Amino acid sequence: MPETPTSSVSPISPIRIDQVQKFFPPARSGWRAYLQPFERATSLALAGISLEVRSGEAVALLGTNGAGKSTLLKILATLLLPTAGHARVAGHDTVQDSRAVRRHLGYHAGTDHGFYPRLTGRQNLLFFGRLNHLSRAAATQRIVLLAQQFHFEDALDRQVRTLSTGAVQRLSLARALLHQPSVLLLDEPTRSLDAIAAAEFRRFLKNEILRRGDTSLLFASHTLSEVELLADRVAVIEKGRLLAFDTPAALKHYTSSDTMEDVFLRITGRPSPDAAPGDFVIHPESAPT
Amino acid sequence: MSRTLRRISREVWLFFWRDLLIARTYRTAFLLESVEALFGAAMLYYVAKFVDSPLLERTLPQAGGYFAFSLVGFIFLDYLNVSLDSFDRSLQEARDSGTLEHLLVTQTSLPVLVAGSAIYPFAITTVRIAIYIVWGVLLFHFPLHSANWLGVFAMLAATLLAFCGLGILSASYLLLFKRGNPAKWFLLGISSVTGGMLFPVSILPDWLQFVARLNPVSYALDGMRTALLAGTGFSALLDPLAALLGFAVVLLPCSVFIFAWALRRTKMNGTLTHS
Repeated sequence: MPETPTSSVSPISPIRIDQVQKFFPPARSGWRAYLQPFERATSLALAGISLEVRSGEAVALLGTNGAGKSTLLKILATLLLPTAGHARVAGHDTVQDSRAVRRHLGYHAGTDHGFYPRLTGRQNLLFFGRLNHLSRAAATQRIVLLAQQFHFEDALDRQVRTLSTGAVQRLSLARALLHQPSVLLLDEPTRSLDAIAAAEFRRFLKNEILRRGDTSLLFASHTLSEVELLADRVAVIEKGRLLAFDTPAALKHYTSSDTMEDVFLRITGRPSPDAAPGDFVIHPESAPT
Repeated sequence: MSRTLRRISREVWLFFWRDLLIARTYRTAFLLESVEALFGAAMLYYVAKFVDSPLLERTLPQAGGYFAFSLVGFIFLDYLNVSLDSFDRSLQEARDSGTLEHLLVTQTSLPVLVAGSAIYPFAITTVRIAIYIVWGVLLFHFPLHSANWLGVFAMLAATLLAFCGLGILSASYLLLFKRGNPAKWFLLGISSVTGGMLFPVSILPDWLQFVARLNPVSYALDGMRTALLAGTGFSALLDPLAALLGFAVVLLPCSVFIFAWALRRTKMNGTLTHS
């Protein structure tokens, strides 16, 4: 059972999100698409979310597709600007001081891998590592180390276009870890991995990254076993709203559930064998923290 | 300041190194481009043989006949193309390949990313232009003996500065609207008529000559022909150089400002990585 770390709370939170709202303009097609950049943002994606990730802590974002998990991660990764509210990474505002934020960040988007297909795995990693201001020697050393840990040594000297989806996924995860960031944002990190690779990755995250206590992790996942294994706390998001934020044990206790699946179903008010819809919605202000 | 400059130079070099490595995987491309340049130079040589006359010789502003005139015009169209194309193409390619998101979370800023990605296309275009000229000199009597090389490099630098502003504007358009850039086609179209690529601007009606004076391409071509063909000193290049630097002074800050605004807008709308 994961426990919320208490001993290593730093005065500056690795991640602090205060009342972040995000609205997007409505999607347009045809000639109206030319007006889209100037339209008012009216589609709700995030409705004033606040949460904090402590030093060395792993927090999972749990929610259905379109709940706002990726939007929140992209705001933290400085890829999106919030409509209102503030997000801070290692004490730096994601809007005002985005370069300083990126110094502390490792980001992995599960939906695409974003490599140059005609370059080898090593050349790709070296390029991204050096853009993160690693020296050539340091980047080369880290690449070899991560390749050993993630078992993709074979992929290092092959063009990325010849690699399997799983191998590219490992490269992508290695890229996020290359410059040893203090904050890791992972969006569905094991999405394209086979069961063994996914288990290895989780073990690596747990044993090599999180156990050291100097890296904080915020990740979105649909794999409940992964959430339970890695997360110290879980934030349940639905339609842009934070419904609950606590340790898996506390959430289970609060919803009288045995599994995270039941926790999720009950908190989001979905049909469950044991509960009526809406019976267990926990609003963050009333939820135990 | 110098530390920032060193960092930016290192980042720009990384993009050049990336593009060079990718280009090396297309092994025959360089050979094919050299052959293409040979065919291009040959075509202009025989067109010139067909149309050259004492009257035409007198109409052209510089020595060397119609072959030299049209070759400089033709190869400079490449520069205009690459400057209008490379910034937004680099953005488009990064978006399509999914690398844009990962580039943007590195410590490298988007302006450096876009500028860095444009370096290789500019470098390879310069090489291609050199190949055209080498073919011209070796096989078709292109008169290079009177070239003012200092003037050539000064014109090249001023042209790049002026054209970069146009390229950054083009990239801003792509950031906002995600699709082909009508301004680019308009400018290329205008330049094909008023730029003086295949015929001198002096034969155009007055109102088109006025349009030509608003187009940096006409100054770039005029200056480059003077530097390569006229055999004059640096002072003959001062007017086109001043005009190009004037365009650069206006276009570069405007384009950077508009690019920053477009970037902020797309980060607001969530369309930065959309195709």
